[in-house]
Amino acid sequence: MTTQAIEAEQLVKRFANRAGDDVEAVRGVDLSVAAGEVFGFLGPNGAGKSTTVRMLTTLMSVTSGQARVAGVDVVRRPDEARRHIGVALQEAGLDNRQTGRELLVLQCRLFGMDGPTAARRADELLELVELSDAAGRRVKTYSGGMKRRLDLASALVHEPDVLFLDEPTTGLDPASRLTVWDEVRRINALGTTVFLTTQYLEEADQLCGRIAIIDEGTIVREGTPDELKKELKRRRKLRTVPTLDEVFLDATGRTRERVAGDVQEVTA
Amino acid sequence: MNTISQAWILGQRALREALRTPEATFPTLFIPLFFLVVNVGQAGNVFPSETTPFLRGQSYAAFQLPSSILLAASFGSAALYLVEDIEGGYFDKLRATPISRTAIVLGRLFAEAAKGVLITLVMVLIALPFGVHIESGALGLLLIVVIASAWGVVFSAAMQLIALKSRSAAATQSGSMVFFPLLFLTPNFVPRETLTRPMEIAATINPVTYVMEALRSLILDGFDWSRIGVGFAVVGVCAVLAIGANVAMIRSYD
Repeated sequence: MTTQAIEAEQLVKRFANRAGDDVEAVRGVDLSVAAGEVFGFLGPNGAGKSTTVRMLTTLMSVTSGQARVAGVDVVRRPDEARRHIGVALQEAGLDNRQTGRELLVLQCRLFGMDGPTAARRADELLELVELSDAAGRRVKTYSGGMKRRLDLASALVHEPDVLFLDEPTTGLDPASRLTVWDEVRRINALGTTVFLTTQYLEEADQLCGRIAIIDEGTIVREGTPDELKKELKRRRKLRTVPTLDEVFLDATGRTRERVAGDVQEVTA
Repeated sequence: MNTISQAWILGQRALREALRTPEATFPTLFIPLFFLVVNVGQAGNVFPSETTPFLRGQSYAAFQLPSSILLAASFGSAALYLVEDIEGGYFDKLRATPISRTAIVLGRLFAEAAKGVLITLVMVLIALPFGVHIESGALGLLLIVVIASAWGVVFSAAMQLIALKSRSAAATQSGSMVFFPLLFLTPNFVPRETLTRPMEIAATINPVTYVMEALRSLILDGFDWSRIGVGFAVVGVCAVLAIGANVAMIRSYD
């Protein structure tokens, strides 16, 4: 594996919307994530976080630009890139009619393991995410937190170099969220690079060594949480160190009032 | 691991899914049998076996059986389960694995073929006590099973195309309604040459007609290779087109 786990240069994604107009969801994103990092990718709804992740994980075509994950070009050699990537997208993508064990065994088989090896690996992962007792139950009977842990396990079957987690704790209760954080730390401690998108700034502050903030398809801030807070303190001549929330609001040009208004609008 | 092995692994998953949702399989068997019973009940006396040459001495149920087999083959649930995978995110999970894109679309079609074999056999078995026998014998029965389950694959592949394009359960469900009339624009009650002219023209350009006539020929005539050959050719061409379009669609899926 190269030193940089993820490298993107001038990554662009253009869609045609329903009216047939071109919409640029991602506008020339550059990224460089070192091996072993937990990298946070933040942004408001519709900023281009998930689109960027989908391009980096080979799930979406790239309009222009280049991207390499674990040194492999995701556009030119997508199959090879997939062998290095683990993916847990928003809303745990699971098959509710299978049992936890069946789901993991299937995932292992799809990564080329034979039956006995797949069964052994599935048991290891069930133990890792503390789901051994529920392994024989159908996924539809799992709680949200259990599903999220199973989804994480399924992203790890092939011991990926880079794990992409797209809003892994959205919709989880606080206890389940803490469990997922522990899992992320444990996975990272084993040497896996983690690329995490989240809307929870506290989550980014707790887990990520470095973060990037994307807004309207462009990266508007990048650095360690401390660097970004200090930069804002210096620039705004603040007397206390700001929170990551304030960094986020500053970077995206939002105010607390406007964010509250956005939320209200969504809820209505 | 090659594409076929990968597709078979996914096919096994689809079969497990079918076993765990018997409520989805039940209509596949019940509705075609219901049509068989009702159609034979209504028209059986109009076409007595002794005086109706096209029945070759068999009951009208033998003539109707291919319609019911093809109706059963058109109840494939692969596309609806595929939409469920797409909407639930599991489809992306599969696309993120290093398996061939072709295997992803073939997996469910393998399962549809296996279900087609079983359902066709059950339908033939149920029809036997009603004065039906397979004139072409055991080999003919094998060919009936192959052509019917292959047609089921064609239908499911066509539905999968709608699922991949629309990514919507409602659109996929509506799509099956587009194909449904094709089953009835066929010589399903009487031979093609006795249809009214407009209906005969419609039946002649409808590929389902040739599949139905091949099945009927195996049940009533024995081995009329001209009809059987045309039936297999139609299924083969439709399968290549439908599966090819599936592969093209998933390769460009964003």
